[in-house]
Amino acid sequence: MVNKPKIKELLDESSCTHNQSRKVACNAPTPGATTGGCAFEGAQISLFPYADAAHLVHGPMTCLGSSWETRATGTSYPRRDLTQMGFTTDININDVVFSGEEKVAASIDYIMEHYKPEAIFVYATCVTAMIGDDIDLICKQAAEKHKVPMVPVHAPGFVGSKNLGSRLGGEAALSHLIGTREPEETTPFDINLIGEYNVTGDMWQYSPLLEELGIRILSTLSGDGRIAQICTAHRAKLNVIVCAKSLVSLTRKMEERYGIPSISLSFYGRRDTSDGLRAIAKALGNDDLIAKTEQLIAREEAAIAVKLKPYQAFFQGKKAVLNTGGNKTWSIASALQDLGIEVVATAVKKATEDDRAKARQTLGEKGVLMMNPGVEQAKIIDETGADLLLAGGRSLYTAIKKGIAFADVNQEKKKCYGGYEGLLNLAEDLKNALQNPVFKNVLRRAPWEK
Amino acid sequence: MGEIARKKYKPLQVNPFKLSQPMGATLAFLGVDRCMPLMHGGQGCTSFTKVFFTRHFCEPIAIQTSAVTDAIAVLDGGDYSIVESVKNITKKISPSLIGLHTTGMPETKGDDVCGVAAKIDFPLVTVNTPDYEGGLESGWALTCKALIEQLVNPAQETDDNKLVLLPHVSLQPIEVEKIKEFIEGFGFNVWALPDLSRSLDGHLGEKQAALSSGGISVEEIRALSDAGLVISVGDSMQTCGNVLRKKNPEMRHHHFSHLHGLEAADSLAELLLAETGFSGPPIPVARWRQRLQDAMLDSHFSLGQSRFLVAAEPDQIAGICQSLYDAGGRVTLAISTVDSPQLKKIKAEKILVGDLEDAEQQVEDYDVIVGNFHCEAIAHRHHKGLVLRGFPNWEQVGNPLKNDILYEGGAYFLFECANAATAARDEGRRHPEE
Repeated sequence: MVNKPKIKELLDESSCTHNQSRKVACNAPTPGATTGGCAFEGAQISLFPYADAAHLVHGPMTCLGSSWETRATGTSYPRRDLTQMGFTTDININDVVFSGEEKVAASIDYIMEHYKPEAIFVYATCVTAMIGDDIDLICKQAAEKHKVPMVPVHAPGFVGSKNLGSRLGGEAALSHLIGTREPEETTPFDINLIGEYNVTGDMWQYSPLLEELGIRILSTLSGDGRIAQICTAHRAKLNVIVCAKSLVSLTRKMEERYGIPSISLSFYGRRDTSDGLRAIAKALGNDDLIAKTEQLIAREEAAIAVKLKPYQAFFQGKKAVLNTGGNKTWSIASALQDLGIEVVATAVKKATEDDRAKARQTLGEKGVLMMNPGVEQAKIIDETGADLLLAGGRSLYTAIKKGIAFADVNQEKKKCYGGYEGLLNLAEDLKNALQNPVFKNVLRRAPWEK
Repeated sequence: MGEIARKKYKPLQVNPFKLSQPMGATLAFLGVDRCMPLMHGGQGCTSFTKVFFTRHFCEPIAIQTSAVTDAIAVLDGGDYSIVESVKNITKKISPSLIGLHTTGMPETKGDDVCGVAAKIDFPLVTVNTPDYEGGLESGWALTCKALIEQLVNPAQETDDNKLVLLPHVSLQPIEVEKIKEFIEGFGFNVWALPDLSRSLDGHLGEKQAALSSGGISVEEIRALSDAGLVISVGDSMQTCGNVLRKKNPEMRHHHFSHLHGLEAADSLAELLLAETGFSGPPIPVARWRQRLQDAMLDSHFSLGQSRFLVAAEPDQIAGICQSLYDAGGRVTLAISTVDSPQLKKIKAEKILVGDLEDAEQQVEDYDVIVGNFHCEAIAHRHHKGLVLRGFPNWEQVGNPLKNDILYEGGAYFLFECANAATAARDEGRRHPEE
């Protein structure tokens, strides 16, 4: 069942900054004025990239029918990539009246027989949580029968937002996977990557650098992840939270339970990537490693500087407005600055207190932190003469209206912007956007309107 | 007409392409001018639906959620969240209508949405669309029915120049427009309900609207009942035609299972000629008929050598299969999302209610796939030809302008399929059986 005290506790995360200042519930959607995803979506996002696990959604068609094969989470898993498959019990009225438990058990058997995954995550959704189907018991019995982990995920949409769902996904991994297996060997430089989902291969932009430094990624939650590895996560020396505030509860509990410290960082842009590598080396606390890391950073920064040189003149004097959420409010801003673009404003509406402070630091005193970007961005473009708007697809019209270039930095992005090399992708995309005559052409008046 | 396999036992759907009733309802409401669809349920249903249609149509999609949360979900009959939603929506914008429809959760608790709506002083149309029943087609049809029942004023008189078109959910905006133009060519004034051809046809509007930017207006819907003729397209929409006639029994209702292919287009032309007493069609219609005949001949070489899988909503399968069949394409397997009376009429060797795992298990039986973007993985893995149709298609742009119906669209559709089949054969030669 959905555990109420647990949800309350997750909403009241002690390591969140705003909890020290004022109580702000992370979880108060407004009826008729809400656009974000639900807890189920959040849980799915945080666990989905395990390519060797099946994700069985116990619910009606909306939950999975419109959400499978939507995220380009890269995997190196050599067998059939289960993240690109959809499994759902697709419950009908009969199941609502007489329970869908048998269907879940039979579905698990079916998946084990046909796809032999290393684990199955079973998600309760609004309807199946409400009718009280006991997925805990079914999972327990199925795990004994099939000898692989079966993980019940209690994040039905009605408990709250996507962010809360990610936390609940983390909780599920903590209670059913982490600490259930011992690694074959450990090294002094074992880390877990938490909250990196390897969308468009972001993680692969920096994981080779970690490897070169002798830092081993013991497990991930969950980009390019494997079930066997996340089970050993409790033996890591450090948890590295990449771009995801939602999993701070998980890392706090891992610190309490297993003594694993954690750091939070981003791999967007040159400075953030360098700072991130530095932070990991420093947290692992080895002087040789720190020295080696500095050498690597110097080498990579020099290399990327050469590659970015052709863009420098082009971006000089260009101004951008950034409208995105979470840590992207400052991390992409910093990447833009690395390219020589002035960031005149960034949205902080969907950012935490920490993120807002970092955004202020990144943009400096002159930069505008937009609390109501939908309304403010057009005005700021006019006032500053910005050349470029980076936002989610819905802001395209603002850019068209102002006749300036637009780049999509939200979920529809197809390219990776992470690490040093990702910065090159970003530079190329922004150059193309700024040179594209379409933003002027669509403003052309019809002959009969002149 | 082939064998229909309905009873195959499988406890789950693997790689589903079925879509839910609430999504169909949302889309139908988006065919009403300045309407705000309000989905009653958890916020995720709305968020998924919004992203889904935004990516498919490449347009902003207006939709709101009643954002039912834990406490409300258990204690309340939906009153609070619905009343709050309407209050919050109308605070910022003024819709002509709020389209309130349900999802699985409020249906499970038994919320009385019609009862709540009756207490709200704002134009609302309510419809029950639990997502554990039916699918995209039925959600759209139920919503159309609700719009008729709750908005259309009864009438006794009829205007024989006025015609109501009731299109099924899988008709793209341009297809709705083409049917309207075809009928208007015979001198009728045509109103489509719902009308995506004016809201989601991919036009660049003056600004990003917070509401649907076009479609049939609420006033036009209220006044539909004096139309002399009603034409429903797709078996899912037949009931809507009957419901509309209840508002004015003088209306004449004609039903078409689909408008794909030569024969169906001929039947529509024949009906319109009979109704108008004209001796011949407008010149462009006659020209396009000749082009379709020629297209059938030009494409039959390739189509005649090809075996097709068609995976779609029932009404769309019926039309696509007929088009292919007419020019010699053999549909060896048709997979439908849900059951429908339409399945009995489908021109395919085997018809299945199922998912894309079923399609992949029978991969030896076809060379070319007509289906949504989830079929791309199968096509890629097994070197099949692919013609992307249905919801969603996130890999290509231009979906609202894909026209497969009547004489003109039929010609383009056959060319596209024939070319895809030829390309697949060439690819097959380069990659002999792996």
